[in-house]
Amino acid sequence: MKKLFEVYCFECSNYFKSKSYMISTLLICVLAIVSISLPGLLSGRSSGGDGSKKEDKNAIAETMAICDPEGLISDDLIHSYGKAEIKRMNSEDEVKSAVQSENADAGFVIRSDHEYDYYVFNQTMGADNNELFSELMSTAAKTKYCKDNNLNYDELIKLDQKNIVCHENVLGKDSRTNYWYSYILVILVFFVIIMYGMMIATSVANEKSNRTVEILVTSTTSTSLLFGKVLAGATAILFQLGLIFASLLGAYSLNRENLGGMLDIVLDIPADVLVTFAIFGLGGFLIYAFMYGALGALVSKIEDLNKSAGTAQMLVMIIYFLVLFQMMEPDGIIMKVLSFLPVSSYSAMFIRIAMGSVATWEIIIAAVILYASVIGMGFVAAKIFRNSTLRYGNPIKLTNALKGLRSKE
Amino acid sequence: MKKEKAMRLELRNVHKSFDGKEVLKGINFSVQSGRALGLLGRNGAGKTTTIRIIMDIFHANEGEILLDGRKFEPSRNQVGYLPEERGMYPKKTVMEQMTYFARLRGLDKKKATENARKWLARLDVSEYEKRKMDTLSKGNQQKVQLAATLVCDPDIVVLDEPFSGLDPVNSQILKDVIRELIADGRIVIFSSHQMSYVEEFCEDIAIVNKGEIVLDGNLDHIKTEYGKGRKILSALNLSLDELEQCCREKLSDLLEVEGRTRHNIIFRLKNEEDPWQILDRLRTERIEIDHYGSYEPSLNDIFVACVGDSAEEEGSGDIE
Repeated sequence: MKKLFEVYCFECSNYFKSKSYMISTLLICVLAIVSISLPGLLSGRSSGGDGSKKEDKNAIAETMAICDPEGLISDDLIHSYGKAEIKRMNSEDEVKSAVQSENADAGFVIRSDHEYDYYVFNQTMGADNNELFSELMSTAAKTKYCKDNNLNYDELIKLDQKNIVCHENVLGKDSRTNYWYSYILVILVFFVIIMYGMMIATSVANEKSNRTVEILVTSTTSTSLLFGKVLAGATAILFQLGLIFASLLGAYSLNRENLGGMLDIVLDIPADVLVTFAIFGLGGFLIYAFMYGALGALVSKIEDLNKSAGTAQMLVMIIYFLVLFQMMEPDGIIMKVLSFLPVSSYSAMFIRIAMGSVATWEIIIAAVILYASVIGMGFVAAKIFRNSTLRYGNPIKLTNALKGLRSKE
Repeated sequence: MKKEKAMRLELRNVHKSFDGKEVLKGINFSVQSGRALGLLGRNGAGKTTTIRIIMDIFHANEGEILLDGRKFEPSRNQVGYLPEERGMYPKKTVMEQMTYFARLRGLDKKKATENARKWLARLDVSEYEKRKMDTLSKGNQQKVQLAATLVCDPDIVVLDEPFSGLDPVNSQILKDVIRELIADGRIVIFSSHQMSYVEEFCEDIAIVNKGEIVLDGNLDHIKTEYGKGRKILSALNLSLDELEQCCREKLSDLLEVEGRTRHNIIFRLKNEEDPWQILDRLRTERIEIDHYGSYEPSLNDIFVACVGDSAEEEGSGDIE
């Protein structure tokens, strides 16, 4: 245990003394804080402000050419949608000509009170001139109808805009609100496994490549070496993610009112979901970290590592897509099976807990299977690591490494 | 610090096979505290495999390794190991990895730092303690590696080709360190192709050939045994070829030519009871004697005789 602790401390120091690790962590934290605080800062409001907003209607276009033979749309009505220069035209050709020569940003030819043609020279992404004009036409039509039928337009509008209040009471789980943070956390654990798994595999392969491993295995056991590396990797992740989450949540709690609570759907994660994510996410990481460690030991050159680690990468990808495709059916048979397999329970069981119905005994059994498999995988990986210690040259095939588990080199 | 307790490391009938090919066929030898054992052999003879089995990197298929009669486990003893393939962390500082290796050997932080400084100073590389390993020259890396080997103040030191890559000045420093280790009462096991170094330090040798020990024991005794009854001769008025031909044709009743060194022929007297008889005959044959004396073989001569052909080195102990 003492030597495991020494390996763990040394490997942790490799992470925490790494400039790239520390700079990237701090950079992500700063980006998270800035991106959440920026809207409030730009609008010149303090984070504790009242959050009231005076909304201006967008102008349809700065300059608009209109052909309205029946005079359905008044200038006043157009100006109620924002300031715009209005050019009244007598024919459709004049409107087209004005738009083509770029004397008008948009052109409208009104056929009747419910039909018009819209002309624009270059349509930009997100342009909504026609939608605004349709709204304007609708208002004009309603006004005309009220006038023709002797109705009070304002009362009619008030009645039309009366809000219906619904008090929603979800007695189970609300997949609509849980979906987004579940989705983000599944992606997060996927990236963590891929990124840190490769870092652990690289570290193992490096020690073999620079021949340090021959000294290390004479000083301590391969189990201490591999467990030390993997636990240090887990510590580095928890530190990095913890710091990033703390920055995000801290910045969001200060800016929540400015943002109108728009990130609640992502960041307002219930504590029980976070705890199960931590338990299953950590177990999932550990099982794959040992797998990557063993695969790193099969090569003696870093350039061979991608080929060797491909097995784990492929497995992680398959599980990732299977879980994502099954997210809409958290209580389906596929998700149920995946939630008990140690290589997939880290995301499948988490999704079931967040979005589906799952009994406590199922969670406990899945967690026991996962952590028992982590320990089993750790010892198998350590044995592969030990057997591969002084095998240089071509990468060792995984099948041969598995056959070698019974041998005593 | 002089080691108080005497120890004995013993290999008994060690066998090892890789993929069905037997590379060690029953290795036996022993070494004691305060003595150095030179493990010799041609490339591929099984020296490094033997060392790796001692260090528990490989497991023997058969046989045992005992320390004072009990199963030897390197991780439970203070063992310094310098592997044939040198390896340290290129991007870590010298001090970081020295203390790491010391702590893996069970030293506390303070002692690890103290010992690291002590051995870096002894090997004249103190100035590099804050430098990253890959910024050092090959010779200095080699010295740091040796310092890392000794950082735990080992009772047993296993050095696989320690002189490879060292210039003469650094070789001298290493020689002095090895002499100190022996004088301090440590067990030193030493593999090398450079016979002169082995002759300098090792009281005992074990020659491995094709996975078997073909010769082992005290080096002085082996030399005496190999030189017994053999003489060397060179002449002022004859070349070695002429002298050898003369001896074979005219003196065959008195001697049997067995070979030659660079400057002498080696022969065995047929009648050892009258050594003066040969001198009389040499005078009669008008051979002007340059050297005549007992033949004391060099380790190289013994090695070549044991394991095969190689360039011969001159033996010592000539009579002028």
